[in-house]
Amino acid sequence: MIVALPTGRRKIVLAVTGYLRHEPLVTLKEMRVRLLLLLFPVLVAAQSLKDFEKKVTEFTLSNGVRFLIIERHEAPVVSFHTYVNVGSVDDPGGETGLAHMFEHMAFKGSDTIGTRNWTEEKKALDAIEQVYDRLDAERRKGLRADPKKIEAIGAELKEAIAKADNFVEPNEYDRIVESSGGVGLNASTGEDSTNYFYSFPSNRLELWFLLESERFLRPVFREFYKERDVVREERRMRVESSPQGKLVEMLLAAAFAAHPYRNMPGGWASDIENFRRPEAEQFYKRYYTPGNLTLAVAGDVNPAEAKRLAEKYFGRLPRGPLPPPVRTVEPPQEGEKRVAVASPAQPFIAIAYKRPDQYSKDDLTLDVLSDILSGGRTGLIYKEMVRDKKIALGAGSQATFPSGRYPSLFLFFVAPSQGHSIEENEKALYEIIERVKKNKVDDATMQRVKIKLRAALIHKLDSNSGLAALLASYAVNYGDWRKLFTQFYDYDRVTADDVQRVASTYLIESARTVAYTFVPAEGGAK
Amino acid sequence: MNRRALAVVLLGAALGFAQKPPSYKDLKYPALPQVRIPEPAAFTLSNGMRVFLLEDHELPLIQGSVLIHTGNLFDPPDKRGLSAVMAEVLRSGGTKAKTGDQIDEELENIAGSVESGMDETSASVSFSGLKETSDSVLQIFKDVLTDPEFRQDKIDLVLSQLRSSIARRNDDPGGIPDRELMRLLYGRETPYGWQIEYEHLDRIHRDDLEQFYRRYYFPKNMMLAVYGDFSAAGMKDKLEKLLGGWTVEQPAVPAFPAVTAQPAPGVYLAEKADVTQTFFAMGELGGTFLDKDYAALQVAANILGSGFSSRLVSQIRTKLGYAYDIGAAWAANYNHPGTFRISGSTKSQSTTETLEAINAELEKMRTSEVTPQELDTAKQAALNSFVFFFDSPAKTLNRVLRYEYFGYPKDFLFQYQKAIGAVTRADVLRVAKERFRPETLSIVAVGNPKDFGKPLATLGKVNPIDLTIPEPKKEPANAAGKDRARQLLARAQQAMGGADKLAAIKDLTQSVEMAMDATAGGMKIKQRNRYVAPGYFRQDQELPIGKMSAYTDGKTGWLITPQGRMAMTAAVLKQAQGEVFRHIFHLVMADRDPSLEVSAAGSNIVEIASADGTVRLELDEATGLPVRESHQAPGMNGSPIDVAEMYSDWRDAGGLKAPFKLTIEQAGKKLAEATVLEYKLNSGMKPEELSQTP
Repeated sequence: MIVALPTGRRKIVLAVTGYLRHEPLVTLKEMRVRLLLLLFPVLVAAQSLKDFEKKVTEFTLSNGVRFLIIERHEAPVVSFHTYVNVGSVDDPGGETGLAHMFEHMAFKGSDTIGTRNWTEEKKALDAIEQVYDRLDAERRKGLRADPKKIEAIGAELKEAIAKADNFVEPNEYDRIVESSGGVGLNASTGEDSTNYFYSFPSNRLELWFLLESERFLRPVFREFYKERDVVREERRMRVESSPQGKLVEMLLAAAFAAHPYRNMPGGWASDIENFRRPEAEQFYKRYYTPGNLTLAVAGDVNPAEAKRLAEKYFGRLPRGPLPPPVRTVEPPQEGEKRVAVASPAQPFIAIAYKRPDQYSKDDLTLDVLSDILSGGRTGLIYKEMVRDKKIALGAGSQATFPSGRYPSLFLFFVAPSQGHSIEENEKALYEIIERVKKNKVDDATMQRVKIKLRAALIHKLDSNSGLAALLASYAVNYGDWRKLFTQFYDYDRVTADDVQRVASTYLIESARTVAYTFVPAEGGAK
Repeated sequence: MNRRALAVVLLGAALGFAQKPPSYKDLKYPALPQVRIPEPAAFTLSNGMRVFLLEDHELPLIQGSVLIHTGNLFDPPDKRGLSAVMAEVLRSGGTKAKTGDQIDEELENIAGSVESGMDETSASVSFSGLKETSDSVLQIFKDVLTDPEFRQDKIDLVLSQLRSSIARRNDDPGGIPDRELMRLLYGRETPYGWQIEYEHLDRIHRDDLEQFYRRYYFPKNMMLAVYGDFSAAGMKDKLEKLLGGWTVEQPAVPAFPAVTAQPAPGVYLAEKADVTQTFFAMGELGGTFLDKDYAALQVAANILGSGFSSRLVSQIRTKLGYAYDIGAAWAANYNHPGTFRISGSTKSQSTTETLEAINAELEKMRTSEVTPQELDTAKQAALNSFVFFFDSPAKTLNRVLRYEYFGYPKDFLFQYQKAIGAVTRADVLRVAKERFRPETLSIVAVGNPKDFGKPLATLGKVNPIDLTIPEPKKEPANAAGKDRARQLLARAQQAMGGADKLAAIKDLTQSVEMAMDATAGGMKIKQRNRYVAPGYFRQDQELPIGKMSAYTDGKTGWLITPQGRMAMTAAVLKQAQGEVFRHIFHLVMADRDPSLEVSAAGSNIVEIASADGTVRLELDEATGLPVRESHQAPGMNGSPIDVAEMYSDWRDAGGLKAPFKLTIEQAGKKLAEATVLEYKLNSGMKPEELSQTP
């Protein structure tokens, strides 16, 4: 039978930043593991850290590839997480979504995996580009371009692509992983990172080292233009056909005037439709240098063996310079921005305030504030708007959105109840925010938040895949995986005064962007 | 060989060695270490509850769950959603001793959780907590499971949320095809395929929840599994102490209804204008895990469409670039037929082409054997990943519990492993032919046909699916509400001494002492109220400021105050009529007055609507007696205020039961408390007596 019951989880799941290659396995909240609210009473933090010091082995190869090996011998399985320090913020102008496009190409194999005849395939692949160059050259003539010529070269292009396809051993990379017992094979592209992950029975450890190094050592961008269509379909599914997706896309585009956080990781439709293979290859060369890779292996693994294999396989990656950082800095916001998005669906409203990046001294306090506002069933927003006033079906907040490396947003997202308006909900939310600014949070609430977050961490430590993802992410974002535990010393120092101060500092009208849906009049935008 | 040549050769060799890509085919794998499969401790509590315990000392956590033999398949047809509402309010409605909100705080203060859930064929109540505070979490778990209160405000909340969910159910196009396919496959009017509508929610009341709970939530009808950082012996004692005293019994729960649906083959289209993609699902009924061909079907479906190396992904996604999301699954169930399903999405323009390409792949599966490599890949994938069934104690415990619940053999998983190993190419072809049947396949597409390239009708006659959400049916809903209200009123009448006796009241004298609340001045008032049928009313009051009298015959009236005598204004007349109308002896007889509309507004609430407004009458669940009446009255500044009267101290009064204490509230605050000194019934008063000036 069919029932859509509100579940115990009160947050609305925004499956928008995780540009996974297949199913949206990870929600937005989980995606950015480095931003987890983690408050940890000092003693427990110290104990866990001591335990983990024994379990974690860390080393960096001479070319710069960094490894974290986490021993957990409970079962003969092992999970892998490759964290690449590149995301959609690094997409070149006019090529939004390229980081995500490369992520898809990283499953296409190499010159030994996925081909029936590499010599011939290479020729055929190069031939495609030559035809495509001619097509582009004709198109660039603009008004003077010859439509017939374009059509003819287009047909040629199709032929060239079909020819190259003859040399492809389809989905061989996937087949090797799956037939070897790999589970959870997937990848995701966010604003600040690209992640590749799956798990194997522990006796297949070397196979992972081989396959993972191959995909970054000599990837072949075969079936590029077919995959481009697939990526375009992914955008249709996640953004264009989703009322929430559309709303968030418009929110980001309005909130950020200049910084690349204004683009969804999937990119804009027209950019995707015009990707060229050489562009993706250039992107790969620039950003997939050894120093930009951090790999975590968690489970039934011997660190000495892992180190030997790391050197054997990843030692082959040629050195390269670290890629340049993002140059554009978001200018200060000069006043509230409001965006109305036509949607025949039931209403949504997203309200976002500018906040500093994850390295700000206020970062953890903002996390605490968010939990006070919307954590569990005791969060103020849930209690007031969902439970008592019943004006919202769901209402939640997120301290860092869409990601944290650069100054970002403190986000509220509300789905009004049937018969209740966006205006009513917006007003109710502002009242709660003003109350938090005016009245200090009581000690019991502060204590509750700290204990809850400590437990949240413990629950995360019981899976290989979770550990690999968490530690890799902390190692890259904060320089040291230990920060996962040591940050609790800082969390513990957050006071009710701090919470009140950051609410008053950041949740202000002039730093606000509001995006909401409206039902277009008959015959209007559909 | 000259030196230069040698150098070149050496350099080449060095380069060759360094650059020669190793092949995955050359790798040798060590044997996989033996998997340790923990054995849960199993026993039965003195009250008949089965328990399974598994120690797991890795993290300082204790978690568990009871599996209850019930499910939303037991929803009454006219109250679909009842079990889900019940399960939600089981937790949110709190216990006899604590409200759900108090429990929320208590649990979050110790980072614990207790949750309640309802599935098709099982329900659960689960808990999770840190070891150090697990006793408190367990206590709350027990209270929620054994002593729920189902408070009305939380019933209202979940009903309101479900209504909002219904309103939103067509907004996300990705969820529609699967939902509509399941309705087609299982039958839209069977518990497996029906959909909750507003009208069903309107009929769900508090006593329905309690009834459902009582019927299914008893110790012999559930199994408890607990795992985490404890000693099994200690936990066994703890659970016996905690739960052993809970001894309620009920007759054994019957079997789940059988699946009766007939195939509904064909092409179905639900139009949706605001999408650029078509979302689709196609399928037919499948089988259970016990199906003799389950392993072969699993292999066949995986080759067709599970994983990135499957045929559908290779063809539809990789080769044609039509879809990002595409896949097939043989989704079996434990105890009733599951489904064979293919689903995905594609841009509107390539809708028909994609469905055709899928049909072609299906046909290939049915007409020729899969390649040896495909079979090998699928079998290796299943066998090599087998170890992941055992990678956490929680998985093992959950499996043991499920097998026991559905009566599966303990070694079922190993039988399955063996069966996978034995699947042949001929098996795959045979089961594909037998079970992937185009002639019974239902195809559901959700999209914008204006943008379709090739028309969908290419695939056959297109049957429209109407996504319109039915508005609550006013009439039938009222009929049900009316019946319920009549039942409640009849029960109240019975509790008060019987409808006949109430109907026989010709006149009534009621002497009252009223104390205004301190916040309202603390004044004491003596009152005598006299009523003569049908609408005569006289009130004499002694106030500190003097005496006051009022009289009405139902149409006109007068007032006598220390300032003198005056005719009743329309507003005062209305107020007086209201007093008569709302007298509890009169109010409970509302079902006999054809000018009044009665309807149930909750499991124990009757709304009585007249031309002058609506009165809400709440009845005691245990006794059936009225508890509280509330209505809106004109306030000082013209805007309405809420007025309520609470009844208590029910005693005998001339052969009837009557409330001897009345508490009056205004705008949510207590206004006055009235003690009834006497009820005098049928003393033979005449209307003329009431109109005499004092």
